[in-house]
Amino acid sequence: MRQLFHVTPSGWAGLGTAAFGILILPSLSNSYWLSVFTSMGCFLLAIAGVAFMYARLGMVSLTQVGLMGVGGWIALRLNHAFDFPFEVNLALAATATMIFGWILALPALRMRGLYLALVTLMAAGGLEIIFATFQFPNGGAGFWGVQTGSGAAFRRPWIAQSAQAYLRYVIACALLGFLCIELHRRLQPGRAWALIRRSEAAAMAAGVNVTLYKTWAFGIAGLLGGAAGALLAGSLGLLDDGTFRASESVMIFALAVVGGAHSWQGALVAAALYKVLPAVLNIWGVDANLSFVIFGAGLLHAVITAPQGIAGQLLDGLRRLSPKREARDA
Amino acid sequence: MLEIEDVTVRFGGVVALSAVSVRFDKPVNGIIGPNGAGKTTLMNVLSGFVRPASGRVSGDGEALLPLAPHRRAHWGLRRSFQKEEIADDLTVFENVLVQIDHSRSPARSKTAEVEAMLALVGMADRAGKIGAALSGFERRLTDVAKCLVGRPRLVMFDEPAGGMSVDESRQLGALIRQIHGATGAQVLVIDHDVELIRTICEDTLVLDFGRRIAFGPTAEVLDDPRVKAAYLGTEEV
Ligand SMILES: Nc1ncnc2c1ncn2[C@@H]1O[C@H](COP(=O)(O)OP(=O)(O)OP(=O)(O)O)[C@@H](O)[C@H]1O
Ligand SMILES: [Mg+2]
Repeated sequence: MRQLFHVTPSGWAGLGTAAFGILILPSLSNSYWLSVFTSMGCFLLAIAGVAFMYARLGMVSLTQVGLMGVGGWIALRLNHAFDFPFEVNLALAATATMIFGWILALPALRMRGLYLALVTLMAAGGLEIIFATFQFPNGGAGFWGVQTGSGAAFRRPWIAQSAQAYLRYVIACALLGFLCIELHRRLQPGRAWALIRRSEAAAMAAGVNVTLYKTWAFGIAGLLGGAAGALLAGSLGLLDDGTFRASESVMIFALAVVGGAHSWQGALVAAALYKVLPAVLNIWGVDANLSFVIFGAGLLHAVITAPQGIAGQLLDGLRRLSPKREARDA
Repeated sequence: MLEIEDVTVRFGGVVALSAVSVRFDKPVNGIIGPNGAGKTTLMNVLSGFVRPASGRVSGDGEALLPLAPHRRAHWGLRRSFQKEEIADDLTVFENVLVQIDHSRSPARSKTAEVEAMLALVGMADRAGKIGAALSGFERRLTDVAKCLVGRPRLVMFDEPAGGMSVDESRQLGALIRQIHGATGAQVLVIDHDVELIRTICEDTLVLDFGRRIAFGPTAEVLDDPRVKAAYLGTEEV
């Protein structure tokens, strides 16, 4: 409680990375890399959501990209229906997706482990079908708002009209997302989640309302996914249903495990693998499907040797280099 | 005061508890019985993890069975498990704080209470230690502190001295004796260690194959020939 605002070494590193991303990265990037890093930032936020559910509660959610789609759909819908500024659309999309996450939690909470994963995967499949059938609003008439031909414009935040400024904006939002998770972790919900992961019976015996806190976790994953989808909509101006297939949700989860679900570094590694690696292969003129082979190898590597993911291994390596830090962390 | 009336529990064909009635009104009470006698099942009925086929339970005159498990904790029920349940990634302090997180009292008074109870169990100097770094005995002491915060009314221990050295077990026994004085809560202890039960419990219930075979002052109960036959008999096999 007294340590609510205490910044750990890892926290400083995270703030430093965000500062680099906001202050320096945009000016180093050409338009190709600006768009790659922007969508990486959006997926980083979404990955933070799945990684959080897995690390804090051991829950496997395979709907995260579907939730991004929900957030993106709502943001586009609001943009083309009303004159709200971007921030309002973003906030409403994130909130609505959070509520969607709660609804998803209702059937999912009765399940554990593999069954929970299957239920969330079914939800992702359902969303995939809905997105493929109705497409994303682009300024057309009616509830679904789809018109053929070129779509209407999407209003970006007034402080982030340019591609560079928008990258900064997305990174700042991702940072807020990580801070939101960390704040929860240090407060009552974090303690409740830690005990729930240890044993649900022990949590109940300690007066923890297990259903409430699990639902809450689904809501946070939804909030982050929804915000990520709205930001992605802002980046591209329109959304394509191919982005939000159920298989992408599975991929995101697998990469979160490969990267390391327990740390922000892991989420960053996962987002980089998901977005930067294919972009690099693309520049080299290599078939981007090679990235799937690399993901697969990474997953095997993680399952066999690195339960804390690649980030965990890197951090262990760093710790071995500086024995003093280990003593301080203990 | 804890009243258990006519509680029956079945798991498929196994009758784990058979119409057990007992009224605990002493500060510290024991439950003993051979393996599989139904001791843990009785505790699970009290904490709400097992729903009995029939029966009533009331604590201080309030019916407990209709309450969800976490509501019983809010009511004042505390329990420790056969295997202590301390979260590895929380500190000792946080592990205890979880128990009163739901209460609306100000943060400062919660902190003070957690610190007081950690001092009582002798863990005050290790409040910032992370759960994963604790020894078995330290985990058990943290568990006890967790049972003491938030005005408990009934504290239950399931084989608290399991796997402990004679010395640790004695220390734990002394600590359990202090609970009633420090918090006003009634205490219920399950253990196979008859010496522990003899030294700390006023009244003791003996279960065998899910039935109550004796109840009363601990010394009398332990001298009861039926108890010797059922309990000590299997113990020596
Ligand atoms: N969840 C369950 N499902 C099926 N049978 C159970 C369950 N829990 C307990 N039992 C059975 O109920 C009976 C009583 O078990 P219980 O755990 O209450 O005994 P106990 O007195 O605590 O024993 P021990 O001293 O070994 O801890 C045993 O026959 C046990 O196999
Ligand atoms: Mg038992």
